[in-house]
Amino acid sequence: MKLIETDVLVIGAGPAGSSTAKHAALNGANVILLDKKSEIGAPKRCAEGVSKEGLKKLGIKPSCRWVTKELSGVRLVSPNGTDVWMKEDIVKLPEAGYILERKVFDKFMAMDAARAGATIMIKTLARGMRKDFDSYIVSCESMGEDFEIKARIVVGADGPESRVGRWGGLKTAVKPKDMESGIQFEMIGVEMDDPDCIEFYFGSVAPGGYAWIFPKGDDIANVGLGIVSTQTDKSAYEHLLKFVANCPATKNAQPVELNIGGDPVGGMVKTLVSDNIMIVGDAAGHVNPLTGGGIITALEAGKYAGEVAAAAIKEGDYSGERLKEYQDICKEEIGDSFEKYLKTKDYMSSLTDADLDSIAKAFKDTEFENVSTSELVKLLIKVSPKALLKLGKLF
Amino acid sequence: MIVKEWCMYCGECAGVCPRCLIEVREISLIFNEEGCKDCGICVSSCPVNALTKEE
Repeated sequence: MKLIETDVLVIGAGPAGSSTAKHAALNGANVILLDKKSEIGAPKRCAEGVSKEGLKKLGIKPSCRWVTKELSGVRLVSPNGTDVWMKEDIVKLPEAGYILERKVFDKFMAMDAARAGATIMIKTLARGMRKDFDSYIVSCESMGEDFEIKARIVVGADGPESRVGRWGGLKTAVKPKDMESGIQFEMIGVEMDDPDCIEFYFGSVAPGGYAWIFPKGDDIANVGLGIVSTQTDKSAYEHLLKFVANCPATKNAQPVELNIGGDPVGGMVKTLVSDNIMIVGDAAGHVNPLTGGGIITALEAGKYAGEVAAAAIKEGDYSGERLKEYQDICKEEIGDSFEKYLKTKDYMSSLTDADLDSIAKAFKDTEFENVSTSELVKLLIKVSPKALLKLGKLF
Repeated sequence: MIVKEWCMYCGECAGVCPRCLIEVREISLIFNEEGCKDCGICVSSCPVNALTKEE
């Protein structure tokens, strides 16, 4: 059977995998980047929101080919329709961002990896792997052909499925209570109060999560929600149909696309490396447990993973001990902050619709200066004695 | 396992399978039925109810 040798094999060409491949290649490693799909980035499994700051920090310049909308505010809606508006002209929104076209964005990120020197293989499935001294041999299949890739370091960037990490002995299986079932229509004919603002809907519309409307320009928007299957008897799809039928903004809207997918919201996986293996992105739990957002953290973690992998290749040391540098950086830069958001999510899930309505009312009467996810939680603590008790020490 | 025609191959079932028995291809799912202990986690996690156990 054909055997290809490489320094680093990255499995999965989402933002995490492409970023890993790019940074490993930029730092001198031979890199192969695999994706099982025929088109990188499609279908999207995502609401497509990112913060401008996050992209800037990573040195990624926004392109008109993948930014569909620049946002200027947020609207939070409680179960009885009480809404809280936060707009950039009045308050500072450090997390304000863009809505992307992921199908284009993901391809751009993979192209960046290719330009940095990585070899891309599409429509190529990794089926399993075995240890071979100081490397892994990964069994692959592409368009009916079976072959093997021998890599000194394998990077699992295979999303919520997270099988590669498990092949390498890492505990990446997601517990049902930590897996958000995401579902979304891309819709036309959406009538938003302000199409420059993203909207979030809380409460029993989406048990364990929330519903969202993310505008993509004109009357187009991603309308979706995330639920936790252990907190409801209905499927995510049934919840979405109900939300779309009842929400004033979508009563005349029609879907042009249906997207689904799991979102691991249980926090960062504890062990991200072992001998000759690393995991990154959704596979590693690089998703903010409160917001479910993970594009920026995936790109960021990919950068760290690529840099550490390339350094390890140069040194000829691919042991878990060497690769642990990546895990330590991730813990400090990403994982630690997720702990408090995880506790906030658990607290939010415990609230009834009536609780949320009274919190929204208190928020409405508050004047904001600076709004970010952590500032919002601080305010939540101010207006809710129950939140103070549970979250007071964290924020 | 019966995979209904409306499955979208999102892979959520594979992520929650405690035994790592589900291979998600671009347009098919392959179950390693031999190792399955019928825990039903994959069935209840599917966002579109596309999985049912064989009778």
